[in-house]
Amino acid sequence: MSNTMDKISPETLKAEYLTPENCEFFKSETGFTGAKINGVLHNRIILKRAMPFASPSDYICITDAEKNELGIIEHISDFGDKQIKIINSELELRYFCPVITEISSIKEKMGQFYFDVTVKGKKKSFTVKDISKNIRMHGENIDITDVDGNRYRITDFSAISGKSRRKLEPYIY
Amino acid sequence: MKNKHKQNKQPFPPPVGKDKFSNEEIKALQNAGLNTDGIIYSCKGDMDGDMNFCDAWIWFNSEKLYIAFGSVEIKQTKNQKKRIEPKIEITETAEFSLTEAYKLSYDRFVSTGRLYIEKDGKIKFALGFSISKIGGIDNLSKAFNSYIQTGTAEIPSEEEEKKEGHCKKCGAPCPPDKEFCRKHNKNSKTAVRLFSFFGGYIPQIIVILLVMLSGSAISVFMPQLSTRRLFDNVLSENSGFTPEEMMKALVVLVLSIFGIKLLNTVLTSFRQYIQGSLMPSVVYDIKVKIFKAMQRLSVGFYSSKQTGSLMERVMRDANNIYWFFVDGVPGLIIEIATVIGVMTAMFIMSPRLSFLVLFLLPIVFILLYLGEKLFRTMHHRVWIYNSKLSSLVSDNVNGQREIKAFAKEDDEYERLSKVSKGFRDAELKLALTEATVFPIAEITVIILTAVVLGMGGVMVAKGQMTTGTLLSYIVYLEMLREPFDFLSWVSNWWSRCADSAQRVFEIVDSNAEITEKENAVELKDFKGNIEISKLDFEYEPARPIIKDFNLKINAGQMLGIVGKTGAGKSTIANLIARLYDPKKGFIKLDGVDLKDISFNSLRSNIGIVSQDIYIFMGTVADNIRYAKPDASMDEVIAAAKAASAHDFIMKLPDAYETYIGASGQKLSGGEKQRISIARTIMQNPKILILDEATAAMDTETERNIQNSLTRLKAGRTTLAIAHRLSTLRDADFLAVINEGTLVEYGTFTDLIKQKGEFYKQYKLQSEALKAAGILDDGGSSNQNDEESEE
Repeated sequence: MSNTMDKISPETLKAEYLTPENCEFFKSETGFTGAKINGVLHNRIILKRAMPFASPSDYICITDAEKNELGIIEHISDFGDKQIKIINSELELRYFCPVITEISSIKEKMGQFYFDVTVKGKKKSFTVKDISKNIRMHGENIDITDVDGNRYRITDFSAISGKSRRKLEPYIY
Repeated sequence: MKNKHKQNKQPFPPPVGKDKFSNEEIKALQNAGLNTDGIIYSCKGDMDGDMNFCDAWIWFNSEKLYIAFGSVEIKQTKNQKKRIEPKIEITETAEFSLTEAYKLSYDRFVSTGRLYIEKDGKIKFALGFSISKIGGIDNLSKAFNSYIQTGTAEIPSEEEEKKEGHCKKCGAPCPPDKEFCRKHNKNSKTAVRLFSFFGGYIPQIIVILLVMLSGSAISVFMPQLSTRRLFDNVLSENSGFTPEEMMKALVVLVLSIFGIKLLNTVLTSFRQYIQGSLMPSVVYDIKVKIFKAMQRLSVGFYSSKQTGSLMERVMRDANNIYWFFVDGVPGLIIEIATVIGVMTAMFIMSPRLSFLVLFLLPIVFILLYLGEKLFRTMHHRVWIYNSKLSSLVSDNVNGQREIKAFAKEDDEYERLSKVSKGFRDAELKLALTEATVFPIAEITVIILTAVVLGMGGVMVAKGQMTTGTLLSYIVYLEMLREPFDFLSWVSNWWSRCADSAQRVFEIVDSNAEITEKENAVELKDFKGNIEISKLDFEYEPARPIIKDFNLKINAGQMLGIVGKTGAGKSTIANLIARLYDPKKGFIKLDGVDLKDISFNSLRSNIGIVSQDIYIFMGTVADNIRYAKPDASMDEVIAAAKAASAHDFIMKLPDAYETYIGASGQKLSGGEKQRISIARTIMQNPKILILDEATAAMDTETERNIQNSLTRLKAGRTTLAIAHRLSTLRDADFLAVINEGTLVEYGTFTDLIKQKGEFYKQYKLQSEALKAAGILDDGGSSNQNDEESEE
């Protein structure tokens, strides 16, 4: 693999967009996601969203295992269904967030907020500091980051129970 | 380990050798048929294979790798309040024999991770984990893989292992020096500690308390004199006084009231006087304690906290505590004493009416309490918008140059308007809710007063009570209003104070990561040899910055460190200066491990000129003298000259006595760097670390400083980190770092000849300079290219 230093030239400043014509994704035997890009086989690739909140299905950067960028997918929807499935499964893994289905209580003590929630039917408690910075709303989704850096998501704020919604509403700014 | 008696006394979960499982967990794992003998290393996970939350245990011994999934339910036993009993259920297990060549690896995702077991190039997904567990997973992988490869597990040190403790109440992770997690941390302990600040002022506190109680007693007594006695004994038709006697009694009464009021005012002034002299002393003690603790802490602490938050701790938190103790605590004592006194007086005057009041008053109190709870969230919202607005205004003021350059005034106005509107809406909602809730509480009080007045009126009519008694009773009822109002929100005030106090104690209790050993070595006749061996370092778990780094620099040599941004160059410099301690490996100075050297020896022998310069508030001379406060003016000028700073200093309005720093004369980046170099020259260290020391200077100034530094180099070990490779031409050796490892080492010419990473970077820079017309073909860089081509 050529070194990144070699790539710094005016040509490389132009992003290489990957399309179904020059890129094909596959699940390798090892279980990782791979891709054939411009005829070159990469057994393990990493997909990262450039805009994970605003456009989770657009501008997906693809790098090899050594984090050298191989190209960018402008829109996932440009690819066929099978390919989209592989891309999404990899992205879902990377951006996986436990989904909160119910908020039992939010209690404040000494400037910290204690959440008791339900995640996939299991009770979970966590603590959030600096609540205005660690609760982030994007569209109907809400991401909550706890003091240990763990992230939790409410996928559709309007779909959770009114009781849960009322508990969180005062803290959405 | 299996001792039953001992088990019952164990906290949850106790460390068992190198593994982190409790006795109860060990028992449950054994019951599930798993071998927990001879554990070499273990850790816990919190997700299963489908990324669902569960409890997971993973460990290995000399025979197998074990994984178990299940759940731990924590219950408090009835007979022992502090004792918690985990109910453990194991639902799924897996075992892998070490005779087959397995390898552990993991992926770090945005907020989770996955642990894999690899064999013959194929992977098996072992378990998922939250990002907070990554440190343990990383240690486990390293221990397992090293054991498979070498037969010896690479296990973290005891200090590393101690970094996690567990809450005594719920078993949740908490810092090792804490008994309870954040949720179960008790405020009472904070209160006791807070009051300990007043330990040295007990006589003053006793006087204050006595004066306060006298004040309360006077307040309670006043209605007896000013209302009851006035109406029943002086103004009453039944008093039997002649007009002259009535006038005389009235004068005596008014003078008595005036005298008592005057006495109360004198006592209050006296209390305020003592309080006024006591409180600043206490706040001074708190601030000094915080500041002292902050000086003791290592650089790592400051990197993990925002400057703003630290500043807030020193100033705002100490003030929060101050105001609670100045206003809150005295208020609380006065109001409680008033309630007790007033209620006693009311009961003496009319037990029947008092029972009615006692029955109705809690309704008012509950209303006020609920209102306060509701307002708390609203106040928080207002506070958040307020701080957002302040940040935005500050952002706007600081970024005015950019705003104007991009003609973004209107957009910025829109942005500010949006937040301002949010602030207005939050304020409006709070005001409207207050306007609704308070009248409800007010009406309840009015109803209560009306009921008392009605019933009291009937009692007066029946001759069961005098008019004066009823009127003074109403006065007492009114007197209860303020204490109840105060008591309904004092808990909120206290929680704010306790919140501040806890933050203060967090600093005071923090242990410095970098500590000086007992009987640390004083380096005498220090030469400046540096040896770095097998160095590993990471700022956060599982994100290694320096990996297996080895380097030797002889005394008096100059070593240039080269590498891309983020390669770990400055980290090496910070590790040599012992601003951080390595995770593994060692750094030795003249053959002595850095950890064994006294701070004094270390700081006086190592000087750093870093890329992030800090200029302290004070004069230019003060800043240069920082390392040597008793330096003469001759020395200051000599240092400034050596750093090419003298000329620009002389152009400043008050030359060496010009105030610089936060509120002083503004200096350019290059000027600050030159002052910093002068400061380090003044320190006269044996090891000089120049971390991009001349990056913000023009070529001519840089050359001047290079010349000065070349002179200074004599007899010193110099480490120079630079992006401009031409500045490292004088270095005896160059070390090229890439992703935390040493990739090339040699002299300038050697590395050019090698045509490796250094050559590539050098060529790129030379070409860029040539293209910009800065370097002509006859330049020195060309010479080297030719050399390398030979």
